[in-house]
Amino acid sequence: MQDQLKSIREHVAEELKNIQDSNALEQLRVRVLGKKGELTAILRGMGKLPAEERPKMGQIVNETREKLESAIDEAAAALRQREKEFRLKRETIDVTLPGKTREAGSLHPMNIVLDDLLDIFTGMGFEAVEGPEIEYDHYNFELLNLPKNHPARDAQDTFYVDDNVVLRTHTSPVQARIMTTRKPPIRIVSPGRVYRADEVDATHSPVFHQIEGLVIDENISIGDLKGTLDTFAERLYGKGIATRFRPSFFPFTEPSAEVDLTCAACGGKGCRTCKGTGWIEVLGAGMVNPKVLDMCGIDSKKYSGFAFGMGIERLTILKYNVPDMRYLYENDLRFLKQFR
Amino acid sequence: MKVPMKWLKEYTEINLPASEYADKMVMAGNGVEGIDNTGDLFDKVVVGHVLSCEGIEGTHLHLCMVDVGQAEPIQIVCGAPNVAAGAWVCAALDGAHLPGGVKIKKGKLRGYVSNGMLCSGPELDVPAGLYPHCGEEGIILLNEEYKPGTDVKEVFHLGDDVIDFEVLANRPDCLSVWGLARESAAVLDTHCVMPEISVEEAQGVGTFDDWAKVEVQDDELCPRYCARVIKNVKIGPSPMWMREYLYGAGVRPINNIVDITNFIMLETGHPMHAFDLSKVRDHTIVVRRAHEGEPLTTLDGKEYTLTGDMLVIADAERATGLAGIMGGEESEIVEGTTDVLFECATFDRTNNRLTSRALGIRTESSGRFEKGVCVRTTMEALDRACMLVNMLECGDVVPGAFDYYPNPLNPQVIDADVDRINRRIACHLTATEMEDILERLGFEVEVSGSELSCTVPEWRMDFETDADISEEVLRLYGYDKIPSTLMTGVTMAGHRSEKQALLDIVKNSLVSMGYYEALNFSFISPKWIAALNLPEGDPRRNFVTIRNPLGEDTSVMRTTLVPSMLNTLALNINRGNPEGRLFEAAPVFAVGKTETTAATETPSLCLGLYGDKADFYALRDAVICLLGQFGIKPAVTAGGDGYYHPGRKAVLTVGDTEIAQVGEIHPDIAEAFDIDGRVYVAEVNLSLIPALARPIPAVQPLPRFPAVTRDIALVMDEAVEVGPVMDAIAKAGGKLIEEVHLFDIYRGEKLGQDKKSVAFALSFRAADRTLTDAEIAAAMDKILAACREGFGAELRS
Repeated sequence: MQDQLKSIREHVAEELKNIQDSNALEQLRVRVLGKKGELTAILRGMGKLPAEERPKMGQIVNETREKLESAIDEAAAALRQREKEFRLKRETIDVTLPGKTREAGSLHPMNIVLDDLLDIFTGMGFEAVEGPEIEYDHYNFELLNLPKNHPARDAQDTFYVDDNVVLRTHTSPVQARIMTTRKPPIRIVSPGRVYRADEVDATHSPVFHQIEGLVIDENISIGDLKGTLDTFAERLYGKGIATRFRPSFFPFTEPSAEVDLTCAACGGKGCRTCKGTGWIEVLGAGMVNPKVLDMCGIDSKKYSGFAFGMGIERLTILKYNVPDMRYLYENDLRFLKQFR
Repeated sequence: MKVPMKWLKEYTEINLPASEYADKMVMAGNGVEGIDNTGDLFDKVVVGHVLSCEGIEGTHLHLCMVDVGQAEPIQIVCGAPNVAAGAWVCAALDGAHLPGGVKIKKGKLRGYVSNGMLCSGPELDVPAGLYPHCGEEGIILLNEEYKPGTDVKEVFHLGDDVIDFEVLANRPDCLSVWGLARESAAVLDTHCVMPEISVEEAQGVGTFDDWAKVEVQDDELCPRYCARVIKNVKIGPSPMWMREYLYGAGVRPINNIVDITNFIMLETGHPMHAFDLSKVRDHTIVVRRAHEGEPLTTLDGKEYTLTGDMLVIADAERATGLAGIMGGEESEIVEGTTDVLFECATFDRTNNRLTSRALGIRTESSGRFEKGVCVRTTMEALDRACMLVNMLECGDVVPGAFDYYPNPLNPQVIDADVDRINRRIACHLTATEMEDILERLGFEVEVSGSELSCTVPEWRMDFETDADISEEVLRLYGYDKIPSTLMTGVTMAGHRSEKQALLDIVKNSLVSMGYYEALNFSFISPKWIAALNLPEGDPRRNFVTIRNPLGEDTSVMRTTLVPSMLNTLALNINRGNPEGRLFEAAPVFAVGKTETTAATETPSLCLGLYGDKADFYALRDAVICLLGQFGIKPAVTAGGDGYYHPGRKAVLTVGDTEIAQVGEIHPDIAEAFDIDGRVYVAEVNLSLIPALARPIPAVQPLPRFPAVTRDIALVMDEAVEVGPVMDAIAKAGGKLIEEVHLFDIYRGEKLGQDKKSVAFALSFRAADRTLTDAEIAAAMDKILAACREGFGAELRS
């Protein structure tokens, strides 16, 4: 009987060496350890043994069963590991294949720039507000010290709906609306579409976008305007970008200034973008004309303020080097996809 | 305004190169568009003396030996008929550059060496008026002797720098040499000396009243009218210095009288007019409003019909010119003119502008009157003109003048406070420093403590308040000295508006879904609205119309974003972009005035989709997903506008409120927009979102008991919509049903024609127990019953 057990152990050990898959292993287990297996057959034969030998023999058989079981379990574990490794190897994919997920789209470049501007100005305590695009002459011109038939109106070729209604020529009417409805302190920016009767070409569009800023409080000076715009310039274009104020004229500000920024393309050394000057003309600004304050019901003796306005198209064109303004309104996806 | 430097230097000192001078002027608010030099026209063209000139046989050419100031005369072949021995000519030497990119090179003509070219006026681009012989046939023959080899630019007085000033709208005084000379002196802090004006009146020619009568009938439109008479006029060219200045300023010299009027306009800023007095009927000038419907033929031969709002210059009989805009043909100065009436007047800016606009006539003169001409200095300008007549000896100034000036303006005085100015301009100037700056600009200033009493110089017309004084002070003190300070006062919380915050969510959601943002013009063609086939009376047909559009294509404010989107899709399809996902967020406009708003503006959103992966559901679900960002769960119902495919369109509603429509565009409409293929468009009314948005509700505890799932396949008519079936299942399932998921739709012969089998996976769960089979079975029975009753659906066997 002991020889039989030994033979089983030996042939099992031998077979385990050759087994390659879990089915064969399971068959072996059933053949050796199953209910009708070889070991059970030996156990059955124990009845023929003398009673005193049985416990000892039973112990030996059990020890053999345990050894066989653990050998088969070990083999099974090794086999599973091998099969897992094999599966992992088989499952290797080409990770460089193009995927099926859809790419994200993008905002229009002008709204990317506008987002930056709103971040900058709201961070400086400005509240963003809007106003209507179809606007009363009263707000677009008259409250801004541009009475009817003022020649300065010619500078802004205006689309008229009727004698008293225009497509706003600038975002400045929002200033007038805010000043006539709120009390200082006022600190707002107002972005939006504006309209002028310019034919479409590489540098003009009858529809374009501006952002307007207005601050009214006690003791506001032109230095505060410069400080605000200096901060804006640096946040938008980076360190080393300064502003340069040149005297100018707008009916709604006094003093007025054209404001240049250091040319970001050359850092102010002079290049093609800035026509060798080192400066780029970007915005108009000034101290709110006291006449405008008075017309809007704000005491110009007590309060002063500044205002500025700039074209978002210009900032976008400068930032992304857009060669032709028409690109901005054509919506060709080959253009829009460049802003992902 | 183009100004030759030499002309400026007649009156003020400028010791800087033109570019440095221009920079200084720019930084004081006098914009400069450019600097030209009149000598840039050509180079290496010198005075030559033709020593000998022989015809070359069989040609029209001449072989000339020309002394050009070199050691030996040079040989030049010349084809001009007027070349002759002894002539003084302009010789372009080897290597000379002429206007139009012409380069002169030594060469051979018909075998004869030619070392240069003898030039005509057009070849040098010198106008006839600048030099008497420039415009004639053939080459220029100089009328004086010069040293051979002298640069021709010296002969023509070329070589001066001309500054092209960009004068600001509030500074019409700087539209003149005198104005800019004063401005230069102030900026450079130097002196400025204007000529002393004195007219030498002739004896024995009577007085003004003997020769002319002027009657001004409208002091509102003509606040001042000055006139003088010149007798015994000798029309001829004006002297070289005057021609040089006019030419430099871009005005063509004509003859002495016309040149004087132009010279005065440029020098003083006052437009003038010269009448041939003999052609003025009854020698009477009447300044009056036109009669309604009165005809007028202007100097350029054009005919106009006038209205009673327009101011005319008439003679005893009829209107002969438009005041301040254009003179009449009859009384034009001609070669034989002997008696001249000079007019120097001021006319109302607004009226002048309206007339010039109404008739579509814009002249140098009308442009100046529109911007404003100084009423106080009118007579001075006229006398300066007569002074030039004296100087040029081209006529006798008749004693006496006409000066209509019923309401003389008083000097303007503005009080300003030093501290207030300093606060405004962020500077710390003393009263004396401000006084100094203002006096440089021609102000008379009285200082008392911190109070400045400033008398505005008579030529300035742009002062209203002390803010204007502050600008003048800062302008000359230097904008570059403005400090960079931070605002003080109350701290304010900056933020985006609610509308912007909402748009940010909308746009960012769509961008993550793969959509690109488009921007289109707000005005469109009314044809685009018509092409949508909207029913009569649809509010979108009632658009705001622009009175003066650039063209019909951009003449109405859009009432829907759909046509612009269709146009955008068409552009992309036709440019071969294989697929497109686009959106535009912008207001749409409708007629509707209120006291504060001139029209109704509603924020709208339009989505457009095309390409292989595009279908109705992709777009519908993009809209649903977008609305989901705001907690809005719209109901989807078949239907929508007529521009959609009749079987592929849906309305999205919340309660009774329609928030969006989505669909495939009807092929007829697509065709109208030049689109070949299927495109999908949705429009969302963004204005409804804030009211419909639902905040995220309080959190539900996670389930502790397992869900039970059951699949059910129902056979129903093809026409039955699945959405309502799913709603019915959810309703019938009551509280226990957690989710209804459609997983398959099957069609096949076994089911019969026009039938479909729709399979759902249902998930049931209770919060407080594990559901029993009996409970599930009861729920399934109810569900089946509801589907049978509501939709004639049967369990698939």
